[in-house]
Amino acid sequence: MNKTIDKKTLHSVFWRSFALQGAFNYEKMQNIGYAYAMTPVIKKLYDKENDQAEALKRHLALFNSTPAVTPAIMGISTAMEEQNANHSGTFDASSINAVKAALMAPLAGIGDSLFFGTFRVIAAGIGISLAQKGSILGPILFLVLYNIPNFAARIWGLKYGYKVGVSSLEKLQKNGLMDRIMSIVGIIGMMVVGGMVATMLVVQTTIKFSMAGATVKIQSIIDQIIPNLLPLLITLFVFYLIRKKVSISKLTVGILIIGILAHVVGIL
Amino acid sequence: MINALLIGLIAGVGILDERVLGSTLFGRPLFLSVFVGLVLGDLKQGIIIGAQLELVWMGIAGIGASTPPDYVTGGVIGTALAIMSGKGIGIALAIAVPVAVLAQSLGVLVRVVNLYFSHKADKYAQKADFKGVALMLWVPTTLFFFSTFIPTFLAMILGASRINDIVNAIPKVILNGLTVAGNLLPAVGFALLLDMLFSKKMMVFFFLGFLLASYLKLDITAIALLGTCVAIIINLYMNQNNSDKDLINETQEDNANSKLTKGDINIE
Repeated sequence: MNKTIDKKTLHSVFWRSFALQGAFNYEKMQNIGYAYAMTPVIKKLYDKENDQAEALKRHLALFNSTPAVTPAIMGISTAMEEQNANHSGTFDASSINAVKAALMAPLAGIGDSLFFGTFRVIAAGIGISLAQKGSILGPILFLVLYNIPNFAARIWGLKYGYKVGVSSLEKLQKNGLMDRIMSIVGIIGMMVVGGMVATMLVVQTTIKFSMAGATVKIQSIIDQIIPNLLPLLITLFVFYLIRKKVSISKLTVGILIIGILAHVVGIL
Repeated sequence: MINALLIGLIAGVGILDERVLGSTLFGRPLFLSVFVGLVLGDLKQGIIIGAQLELVWMGIAGIGASTPPDYVTGGVIGTALAIMSGKGIGIALAIAVPVAVLAQSLGVLVRVVNLYFSHKADKYAQKADFKGVALMLWVPTTLFFFSTFIPTFLAMILGASRINDIVNAIPKVILNGLTVAGNLLPAVGFALLLDMLFSKKMMVFFFLGFLLASYLKLDITAIALLGTCVAIIINLYMNQNNSDKDLINETQEDNANSKLTKGDINIE
């Protein structure tokens, strides 16, 4: 009598996966959230209290990945739990966690640069440019644009992960599709950040001096050569400092102070 | 009092976005400030301040195990007090940035306290007590809620009546300096994004985006769309090169592939 996971159970896992970080802690990170999401699967597959306890403990192990890609891993875990329940004795239950551990870091690397580094940046770039004019469309568009890939990855990931099982993500990486998506969104992300530096960072020097009776404004000279040169240089300088491991809190507070001072002495 | 409660609730629910509500990004300042503006009767100002705060914290995201500055508490308090004082973005940033750094410690505290619940969850798992494990998710979630609700609520009760006196006591040159400093702050956000997406080969796309915006005055939406085309074109050529080599030698293709993409997007 084989036990299988039905649609209803998968739906339940999908919604529960939203709560992944509800009990985030420094020891096992998202472990409780993961176990919470897997609960419907465990209840469906195992009848004996002992088996249920074992499965719960399994999914309370350390877990940490990007929320948007985690449903894909949950789908794989579900497929493996199903195998385990139907072939207890021959199936190695420890492989379930081995697969989780093997997938969470590489997927977090891809997920973070896709979702935080690119989709969020594009959505925010477009949203902010409208919101700066006071338009409500800005915040709305921001949320909509980001959540299209967010929900797509969650829904498709869970389905695909469950259907194809362990081999699925390996296959995705092997045929290079993942690399291609990464390089495409990486290029878009970089260009959007460059555009934002030019349009959203407002830095203009107020320095001027007199020459042969005429006032010369430094800013208008800069504008004639490379517009927005100052924002570009400042961004690259801060980027250099970040690479030199200067802490973000120090940088932020430092810039706040430097900005006020620069205004008081009349540079900016 | 009612306003203080409502603003507190906005912060409380806002933090839950990345905890249990699927990281849809409604907790980002760009979106949350809309509600602060609604409650305080100045929707437009809320949207505009939210846009500037989003720029400042652009590069901040809870990646991996790190705990970022609490942009929820900082953003909501900063937006609310700035709207109340009627002095705009400069004041919002001057309040929001340091408050976010301070509030971060509360988030750290909750993540430490959650260790206790994680251990208790292990005990519940022994007995296959699903309800107990779920409880160990929802109690920490409640803690996260209060970690932003309480400081925001208190800041509204204590700060709302005094914010005007404080702001009026600040010399005008400093206030203007704050606005200048506030305009500089997004440089940190952009630099952090660069740090996230950085690879030497990709830098050219950053400059391309910058030049398109600076010289051709393209807006962000146009750059994002253009970027998509550029990325796809480059990918088409890349693949063509690869399949040519494919005929000669398969390992060579693997090399070319990894050269072009693997190092490109790299989170360090």
